[in-house]
Amino acid sequence: MPEQAARRAAIVEYEHVSKSYATAKLPRGAPGAVNDLSLTVPAGKICVLVGPSGCGKTTSLKMVNRLIEPTSGRILIDGADVAGRDATELRREIGYVIQQVGLFPHQTIGANVAVVPRLLGWPAARQRARAEELLSLVGLDPALYRDRYPAQLSGGERQRVGVARALAADPPLMLMDEPFGAVDPIVRERLQNEFLRLQAELAKTILFVTHDIDEAIKLGDLVAVMQVGGHLEQFAPPAQILAAPASEFVADFVGADRGLKRLSLTRVGEVALQPVVTARIGDSAGEARARTFADPFPYLLLLDPSGRPIGWVNQRHIPGTGTLAPSLATPMSPLLDRRTTLKDALSMMLDADVQTGIVVDRTGRLRGVLTVEAIAAALRPSADPDGIAGGTSGAGA
Amino acid sequence: MIDWGWLAGHLDAIAYRTAQHVYLAALGVAIGFAISFVLALVAARHRALYPPISALAGILYTIPSLALFAALISITGFSVVTAEVPLVMYTLVILVRNIVAGLDGVPGEVLEAADGMGHTRRQRLWRVELPLAVPLIVAGLRLATVSTIGLVTITGTISDAFGGLGYFILDGYHRGNFLTEMYAGALPSILLALGADLLFVRAQRRVTPWAHARALEATS
Repeated sequence: MPEQAARRAAIVEYEHVSKSYATAKLPRGAPGAVNDLSLTVPAGKICVLVGPSGCGKTTSLKMVNRLIEPTSGRILIDGADVAGRDATELRREIGYVIQQVGLFPHQTIGANVAVVPRLLGWPAARQRARAEELLSLVGLDPALYRDRYPAQLSGGERQRVGVARALAADPPLMLMDEPFGAVDPIVRERLQNEFLRLQAELAKTILFVTHDIDEAIKLGDLVAVMQVGGHLEQFAPPAQILAAPASEFVADFVGADRGLKRLSLTRVGEVALQPVVTARIGDSAGEARARTFADPFPYLLLLDPSGRPIGWVNQRHIPGTGTLAPSLATPMSPLLDRRTTLKDALSMMLDADVQTGIVVDRTGRLRGVLTVEAIAAALRPSADPDGIAGGTSGAGA
Repeated sequence: MIDWGWLAGHLDAIAYRTAQHVYLAALGVAIGFAISFVLALVAARHRALYPPISALAGILYTIPSLALFAALISITGFSVVTAEVPLVMYTLVILVRNIVAGLDGVPGEVLEAADGMGHTRRQRLWRVELPLAVPLIVAGLRLATVSTIGLVTITGTISDAFGGLGYFILDGYHRGNFLTEMYAGALPSILLALGADLLFVRAQRRVTPWAHARALEATS
């Protein structure tokens, strides 16, 4: 694929889109109505539609590729009304992933991934090459999986193939309808992280439907919270939805633990780290002792010769003479890196029964320390939610 | 006891009647399948038409074959058409219902994925729905073929020119239960049915490798 094509991403606009159904004969689980939905998804962003069942989130999604036609209003992709497009042609340009995956049981994994390229009439060799490229991209060894059938794969593997299939023709827009809803929580977590890693690379425009607010907060650059009846309650970055819910419904939906949820949105690198008194092995003990006593924090952080933390030394245990030895250090606070979420950091600190976490860079060298007070300060309501959210998008844990 | 002398003297006749039997049965199933296929596609596309189509095929199935032969002789004479019409008719009910059931058995999420990726209706039918319906279609063909092979024997009641291996059964009966001749008709006919069934099972295994693929090592 040419580099430029891979960078393509579409802008999706809903303009006063409504969909109503004759309510009398609606079975349970039928698509929900949508009421005057207007929102714009910027190019290259993940927009999550979230809400309880019957809120019209799936209906909203399926109106984009015209599996459902709106009763009124328009949906524009890059400024062009989808209603003016040939439906099958339109769908071949939009990646589509559904919860039950819907792989073709009679085709091999390789053929499944190449479905859209085949519909588009690509030469067989190019179809094959693209299928292998995509299987590798989603972490499935082509040599191992290409010739298998869907029945021979696990749920998580099938879901990855579903994502690979949707990416096959390098669409500028992806529609994903609860793509990780049918796998167990551990696999889901892994798939979500892989998805974010992939998106950081591909930068597609993605419309993503889920009923799981945690998933919405984790994956969305923008989150649209919808309410039964198809009303858009709030459309904002996840941090803003947590910090300032627009309505009681949103506040209820995100849950009473929304303060805690914000912890998982913020990463250590976004919080001001504190300096700490340090000394290296072999340094003069007396000098280090003096510096530690001069600091309000009663501990010295002992580093190895290359600057990697070894452990804490209580100021009272620092000898007055001689040099610092590794044996002085007592058990460590947890080691955090800049990409650790505050939630994980706090959890690790609670587990270790300490008030302070040591933050290191990629090579293990000290960056500073994170205190419980610093975490609390970052979540204070006065803190600018957009400021906190600044770097959360697209960064996989 | 078996009259070996009669058997030895009639090997050519047995070979000829066997070939005729295969021909009459194959023609009946082939025409029946062609008609059923069209009817089933129509029924699958327009659901409202399925009950009447299925009912009509069911009613045709209830008409006694001997009565039908008698009625047809006055129209089509002692021709192959008279022999084939009932054979074809009796395959319809099995084949139409199996093809429709096969199409109905395609999982909803597979159809949704097919639509969502931009298949036209025709592409969806030929690339997705029909291949997935193959196991049930073949099951219908097996049943239709075995029952047609059995039915060919009674086309001998139209005239001696038909009947396939059934000719020997009728002829042996008319000779006062000449068992050797009756066995010479019945046994090859049974073997034909078994052989045809086996052939279909083999063919299906070949065209639907996916249906036999079992989980090798499922890890996520």
